[in-house]
Amino acid sequence: MDADISRVVVVGGGIAGVSTVAALRAGGFDGDLTLVDTGEFPYDRPPLSKEYLAGRRDLKQIALRTPQWYDQQDVRLVNLTAVTALRPAEGAVELAGGRLLPADRVVLATGGGAARPPIPGSDGERVHVLREAEDADRLRTVLVPGARLLVVGAGLIGAEVASTAVDLGCEVVLADPVNPPLAAAVGIDLAAWLHGQHAARGIAVVPAGVESFEPTAAGIAARFSSGHEPRVFDAAVLGVGMVPQTALAVAAGLETERGIVVDTCQVTSNPAVLAVGDSARTRRDGLLLPRTEHWEAAQQDAARAAATLLGRPAPPATAPWFWTDRHGRHVEAVGRMAEADQVVIRGSFDDPAFSVFGLRAGLVVAAAAVDDPTAVRAARRMIDRRVRIDPARLEDPSVNLRALLR
Amino acid sequence: MSNGIRVAALEDIPEGEGIVIDKSVTGTADDIALLRDTDGSVWALDDTCTHEDASLAEGWVEDGYVECPLHASRFCLKSGEVQNLPATRSTCPHRVEVRDGEVYLFPNETP
Ligand SMILES: Cc1cc2nc3c(=O)[nH]c(=O)nc-3n(C[C@H](O)[C@H](O)[C@H](O)COP(=O)(O)OP(=O)(O)OC[C@H]3O[C@@H](n4cnc5c(N)ncnc54)[C@H](O)[C@@H]3O)c2cc1C
Ligand code: FES
Repeated sequence: MDADISRVVVVGGGIAGVSTVAALRAGGFDGDLTLVDTGEFPYDRPPLSKEYLAGRRDLKQIALRTPQWYDQQDVRLVNLTAVTALRPAEGAVELAGGRLLPADRVVLATGGGAARPPIPGSDGERVHVLREAEDADRLRTVLVPGARLLVVGAGLIGAEVASTAVDLGCEVVLADPVNPPLAAAVGIDLAAWLHGQHAARGIAVVPAGVESFEPTAAGIAARFSSGHEPRVFDAAVLGVGMVPQTALAVAAGLETERGIVVDTCQVTSNPAVLAVGDSARTRRDGLLLPRTEHWEAAQQDAARAAATLLGRPAPPATAPWFWTDRHGRHVEAVGRMAEADQVVIRGSFDDPAFSVFGLRAGLVVAAAAVDDPTAVRAARRMIDRRVRIDPARLEDPSVNLRALLR
Repeated sequence: MSNGIRVAALEDIPEGEGIVIDKSVTGTADDIALLRDTDGSVWALDDTCTHEDASLAEGWVEDGYVECPLHASRFCLKSGEVQNLPATRSTCPHRVEVRDGEVYLFPNETP
């Protein structure tokens, strides 16, 4: 390890920040390690649209680590505190209130906020977003049986909120001009199937965007694009993406481009500052890659950042993976479906579980599955190990996928 | 010392996979997952993931670990120790013996 790195401050206690401190300690870093977060304690975000929103789990149950863990790992958790400025030249970060925290290296794991497009009227109190536990708490109070809810955006979070709201007895309208959403992530056929699940659960799907909101006596009226009738709701949720939190980086003069720009070792344009997770954006071979914005990608960033700080080679990258849960179905996807030139379906869309494999030049490059995580686990290994697989055997549900890997 | 409970024939558990033994058979608080590693050895862990409601017997077993089918936390087959998030708590291991192609389970005994 670099002898001059004895104090590391990690800014932000989401999955990326917590994984960074964990990976540093696991890798043998024995210097001063501080994690600063604005919340009471670091918690996991995926349940915010699922179990937590449904009221089946409380905040303690979605904590990323137990309170004792920080002591055991000798990590100083500075909670309920924001970092207000980076001072790389002075080897410090500034906390709200002005206190300086010495740091030889800083890791930015600041995540992002829910996108709030400039839709007129969307600043009203009946219009919600979902990124923090507080957002979920506020939203849950309106998800009562019979409540009329408009979900704007049918991507990952919007679809999950719609599903949870139906479970809770709400009357849900889901609006998205893209039909179907998620095609790039899971392929057009599965995307269409997934989108079709909403109507099957009684959700009214409106293929349009929202142009404006207007308060009414009893709720909020939404005006849609492309001539759909305006409708009145008790509440609306915007699930239209996230905006990376780059303010600290910008103020410190780091390069940003809809994300804090990092190299493949997670180092920003200032060698004393690294960035990981949803706030970071990688440049590889001169090319800015799209942000990944998934839970596991944040962990892999963290592992790479820790390796960089420890002066070790980065762990090998694996195919990107994410899951989503909606309407009682567990959906997973791995790899890059958009790169496939051949698609193989295993099982039947009429009878889940089933899976879809994307191949390119005879190699598996992606897979997505409904209620069949084993298919995705297998696909991930096929992708990472570049195993050549016979499509006819992939397609045959009687062929054990594990056996294909041997 | 008991002789354990005969719970399966070895050939019932394909390598890299698992089967569930119901708690009415094992007398434990949770069902037990019998997991067969890629080297052929058999291990037993509490079946329910410590994170949310998933059956570890449906997980991916490889090189000493089982990966949860839902959010991919991995648990050590031998010790039950959790290896990665989102699960934060380890699970409980149970001792297993294979004799003459039959699998015997010793609930709550450390392997
Ligand atoms: C509702 C929801 C559901 C999701 N579901 C899934 C899913 O099913 N599957 C999946 O793969 N991914 C899912 N994701 C995405 C996943 O949660 C994110 O990719 C992940 O949270 C990114 O982690 P992060 O640590 O980079 O950022 P974040 O989780 O956003 O954490 C950043 C932290 O930094 C703190 N912070 C920011 N600025 C400062 C500052 N100046 N000082 C101190 N602290 C600061 C913030 O308060 C926050 O706690 C979901 C996300 C949301 C919001
Ligand atoms: S249920 Fe096992 S990791 Fe989530």
